[in-house]
Amino acid sequence: MKFASTLAVWVPLLVPCLALAAESAPRASIPQRHLALLREHCQKCHGGNLAEGMFRIDTLPPTITTLETAERWQKVLGALNSGEMPPADEPPLNNQAKADLLDDLTRAMVVARKALSDQHGEITMRRLNRREYRGTLQDLLGVEANVNELPADAGAGAFDTVGSNLFMSGNQFEQYLALGREALDEAFERQAAAAEQRRLRYETENSTPLLAKLHASDLDAKRRGEAWIKAVEAAAAKPENAAIVAEIRKTAASDAIFRRSWAKIPGAPSPESFGFDTGENNADKANRAAGNTFMHPYREYYLKQPRLDEGAYLTINNGDFNSWITLLVPFNWPVGDYRVRFRVAATEQAPPERRFIEFGIHPRHGQVMTVHHVVGTMDNPQVIEVPLTLTRRHGERDNRTLFIREKGTADHIDQQRRRFNEGMKRSGIGPEFALWVDWLEIERVPTAGDPLPPGLAALDVPLTDKAPPPSPEELRTALARFAETAFRGQPATPQFIDRLVKLYELRRVAGDKHLAALKETLAVVLASPRFLYLAEPATDRQRRPLSDLELATRLSYFLWGMPPDRQLLELARRGDLRQPAVLARETERLLKDPRVSGFARPFVHQWLDLDRLDFFEVNGNLFPRFDDSVKLSVRREVHESFGLLLRDNKPLSNLLQADYVVIDGVLASYYGIAGVTGDEFRPVPLPAGSPRGGLLGMGAIHVMGGNGEQTSPVERGAWVLRKLLNDPPPPAPANVPQLARLAGKLLTTRERLVLHQEQAQCASCHRKIDPIGLGLENFDAAGQWRVEDSYQLLTTGGKPDPKLVKTWQIDAAGALHDGPKFGDYFELRQIIAAKSDSFARGFSEALIEYALGRPCGFSDEPLVEDMLKRARERNFAPREFIHALIASSAFQTK
Amino acid sequence: MSTPTSRRVFLKSSTALVALPALESLVRGRAAAAPASTNPPPKRAIFLGFGWGVTESTWYPNIDQPGTNYDLPAGLQPLARHRADFTVVQGLWNKYSNEGHWGSTMWLTGANRYAQTGQSFHNSISADQVAAAQLGQQTRFPSLQLTGSDSAGGSGHGPGLSLAWDVRGKPIGGQSTPVEAFHKLFSSDSTPLEQQQALLAEKRSVLDTVLENAHDLKRGLNSSDNAKLDEYFEGIRDIETRLAKEEQWLGVPRPRPSLAEPKPGLVGREEIRLMYDLIVAALQTDSTRVITYRQPVSTLLTSLEIRVHPHDMSHYHTVLGEKLDASQRRDQAQSELLAGLIDRLKATREADGSRLFDHVALAYGSNIRTGHSLDNCPTLLAGGGAGIKLGHNLVVPKGTPLCNAWLTVLQGLGVSAEKHGDSTGVLKDLVG
Repeated sequence: MKFASTLAVWVPLLVPCLALAAESAPRASIPQRHLALLREHCQKCHGGNLAEGMFRIDTLPPTITTLETAERWQKVLGALNSGEMPPADEPPLNNQAKADLLDDLTRAMVVARKALSDQHGEITMRRLNRREYRGTLQDLLGVEANVNELPADAGAGAFDTVGSNLFMSGNQFEQYLALGREALDEAFERQAAAAEQRRLRYETENSTPLLAKLHASDLDAKRRGEAWIKAVEAAAAKPENAAIVAEIRKTAASDAIFRRSWAKIPGAPSPESFGFDTGENNADKANRAAGNTFMHPYREYYLKQPRLDEGAYLTINNGDFNSWITLLVPFNWPVGDYRVRFRVAATEQAPPERRFIEFGIHPRHGQVMTVHHVVGTMDNPQVIEVPLTLTRRHGERDNRTLFIREKGTADHIDQQRRRFNEGMKRSGIGPEFALWVDWLEIERVPTAGDPLPPGLAALDVPLTDKAPPPSPEELRTALARFAETAFRGQPATPQFIDRLVKLYELRRVAGDKHLAALKETLAVVLASPRFLYLAEPATDRQRRPLSDLELATRLSYFLWGMPPDRQLLELARRGDLRQPAVLARETERLLKDPRVSGFARPFVHQWLDLDRLDFFEVNGNLFPRFDDSVKLSVRREVHESFGLLLRDNKPLSNLLQADYVVIDGVLASYYGIAGVTGDEFRPVPLPAGSPRGGLLGMGAIHVMGGNGEQTSPVERGAWVLRKLLNDPPPPAPANVPQLARLAGKLLTTRERLVLHQEQAQCASCHRKIDPIGLGLENFDAAGQWRVEDSYQLLTTGGKPDPKLVKTWQIDAAGALHDGPKFGDYFELRQIIAAKSDSFARGFSEALIEYALGRPCGFSDEPLVEDMLKRARERNFAPREFIHALIASSAFQTK
Repeated sequence: MSTPTSRRVFLKSSTALVALPALESLVRGRAAAAPASTNPPPKRAIFLGFGWGVTESTWYPNIDQPGTNYDLPAGLQPLARHRADFTVVQGLWNKYSNEGHWGSTMWLTGANRYAQTGQSFHNSISADQVAAAQLGQQTRFPSLQLTGSDSAGGSGHGPGLSLAWDVRGKPIGGQSTPVEAFHKLFSSDSTPLEQQQALLAEKRSVLDTVLENAHDLKRGLNSSDNAKLDEYFEGIRDIETRLAKEEQWLGVPRPRPSLAEPKPGLVGREEIRLMYDLIVAALQTDSTRVITYRQPVSTLLTSLEIRVHPHDMSHYHTVLGEKLDASQRRDQAQSELLAGLIDRLKATREADGSRLFDHVALAYGSNIRTGHSLDNCPTLLAGGGAGIKLGHNLVVPKGTPLCNAWLTVLQGLGVSAEKHGDSTGVLKDLVG
């Protein structure tokens, strides 16, 4: 089979033909019974030479093989969907028959579009996408470029590797120049500081006297404020002042506002005389000092805690009084790799769900970067270490200020208030302290002895202005070596190097020193087409096998999103890489390397549409437990679950159903699974009857299937069809008349979705989508299990109307369209898990599109079959698919 | 593809051809400060696109009240003071559009996504770029593309980098924040002239270097790869054209803006308002004559403190309630903003004392009507630049190409176009 398909590729290419009947492509045909229906209803007006609107249905070929036929059928579909045809004065189509017709016609259009856009195996040259560009600079120069300014790559719902969506423009060229320059700046700066070692520790007990002083001074201000108020009131109470006091009181909304006018009251003292002397309104200051004592009990409680002479507690507060502990990295510390450490303990009274600490940068507005499970005790605190890379972007104070804080206490000001008030309600003081911190430190890791990144190693000229600049010959050689490395092993032409040398000289003449001129010159290399494009020379007449070097490049960009490393290049140069055994061994090596995250993360993210996770904020008032750290962890759960399968080569069907979950301490707490400590994601066995295990049990999937407040059964159902069952519903049709009959009615979700069945245009897809979505209703919009749901109507003013609420028990039972019935979520999951063949096929098609950078067409059917055949022998283990794909002629042919 | 040398020669000669305007236009370029010029004010075009369409029931005038005597619907109420100065056209669509979430991708192009065998995406030149090819020759920037700072998908725009697509149907990027746009238009360059010249020479030298590399790469490629590499050549060519233009404008100071540098970080309603201010400032200073703005919708909702997701909002039909409310408030806010822009266009005077508004053709709309409906695309035209009939509720036969409206506007602006997209002719009722 494989041999045959390999042979087939070497025949000279024909002009891409439109014959859809070729190979195993399904025919985009409209079944006979629908044609009869259309004839019956449409031919009277749309037949013959005098057809209405010049549109003839009698000459419409039943099989779509050309763009022209596709457009004509699209018109029929459009007219039916919009309800424009049949016209109101003609007999309507039977609803069921119409739904079936629309279903089949829509399907035929999808097949036709796919067939007509089939690239027949041809892979068009493409530029590096954003993340490959970043990965390539990372590899070449050892720095991370900020690629956010480059235009986003994903378009029209395809993977970011699909070349036809990867454009280039003048603007973008200039961005590449600028980004290359920045990356070189950073790389040179890192190199210059390679030997630097720094360390700074903040002992948190240093905060204790400051907090004590702050509180004492506030108490003093309170006393002075009260005294001033008393004096003003005494003056106001004097009978001779009654008239003026009455006059002021007329417009004053409160006592505090009344006291603002103290100066009008004879005998009332100034706030300044009580020590309130600022540039602002001092009466307000005095009022506030006296009245704003809400936090005082909490502060006093803090200052009475034990072990404040050794450390500090993390509080829940509005920013001061240790609601976060910070450390400013000194401004003169260079870019490079750092380690942040903190020594921390959970207090005795800390409940399990509060034993987590967050680390991040920019205390006031920065989001949590990492979250850690605190298992250290007051007797035996633990040290947590976080690696951190500081770059030129960390220049401003805020971007150099590290923080640690308790998890879920400062995502948002509302959350802070809610958490504080909960504690206040419980104790009358404020939330108990859950975490104690001994110290927070940062240390710079010197990299002087480490091997240089390949780009810098290739230069081999002084990267400083202190040494004498290189001779013209040395420079020329350096530029040639750098270009060859940047171009992934392909040497540059001498003419190109000539021009680079000229550019360098131009800069030197203009007054640049060596290093600046070198940077400008190298930045041009990094904006050149041989760097930016993954090019494979070819002729129009014949397909050819890839060269070893090209194969190495395809392989490493597929599995790492980075250029080939030294070993791959070496094997390619020796001409060994294309030997099947060597290629398979290298594939394994790449798959086992940590850099495989350069494949797994972007692939999984796009394959499963995880983008949606960032479309909405989960409403913190409705779902207080779903904080930013939980969001980090639910996202990682998806990646770690796939990562585990990839690492251990376990069956892909574990993503449909599994008796384990891959979680960290945060998620164990969120899911209510006992006995999991620490930050590492690891497989944890599930108790019988758990709804977790597999994608359908993951928080991220259910959050994506909602809007942060309510679930969306349609989103969820469509996602399952697209991603798990490989039966994607066609894109939502245009121009379908909207139904408003049930608007504003108090109904259950299921009752509302019934509307979809009433009209054929909706029913044709929703009869497949909705039952699945409704079967997942036991998961709320934050991914937690529930048995009850409710719907709240709003008044005309947009406020919730307490009288208009309906609550119901969730009934997940249903049946797949033309398929088996299920009584609840568990049975639905069972039915889906039984379709692991469909899932594996969808996975294969996604891999093909991702790896080859073009849509998976019908002409890829033999390759899909090959991949499935090999993987099936190993229980659909993911690495088998990848091996089969890499071994295929499609992967190895230009 | 020519060699670098011959292409430079070509560019030089073509530059010579377009380089004529010199003094007069430069004087006019600073019209705000300059005394009245004898030339009539130039014509300008503004295209404002929003993604998710409008509220069907409260935005469109009643089609049974065509003409000038129609009841202004609630969604357009904020524009009441301008009702004699805009026309709503009903019945237009892009017949090839099938994507219910693409409010902007084909709005100004009318292209068929599937027009090319072997490709799943195709687009063609947008109306603004047709205008820019002609109106853009005498200004510092041939056209300006502004976009919202939010994600295009969330705002229902569909693929693309702005509303603009170039002559080959490739997306054109733009400025996504008021700060960026301000700097592009008004940041002055204090470098001495000789240094600026040297800098231009160096930039050309950089381009020659990468072109050398591109030609080397090109030699081995097959035809489809070559077509891909052409994007790179075109990109470089665009920069060369721009450098030629920069050379032509060397020593001409940037105009003084009529507004202060915007504060960073503004989103939603304030962002749109500022972008509108920048549009007026750009036209007033004659920095460009063609502007598109792909407006943010998702952040507009956030700034109105609406928590409904924008896509959800566009499906208000089934549940009404807060989604309908959000949709209507969105219409209100957008109409208020537009009314403010028209105010400023009217208040701004040309060198001859006439109103800027009278020399502008402004189009405001979306490829999406509401929900997934792509027929009767909301279309509001204003300004006197294209000589179209204003003050009307114009109802054209259902299924009239939206591109007929674009063609009418283009011809009205004096652009020599005979056809645009799938146009079948001009909208006679719009000019008659």
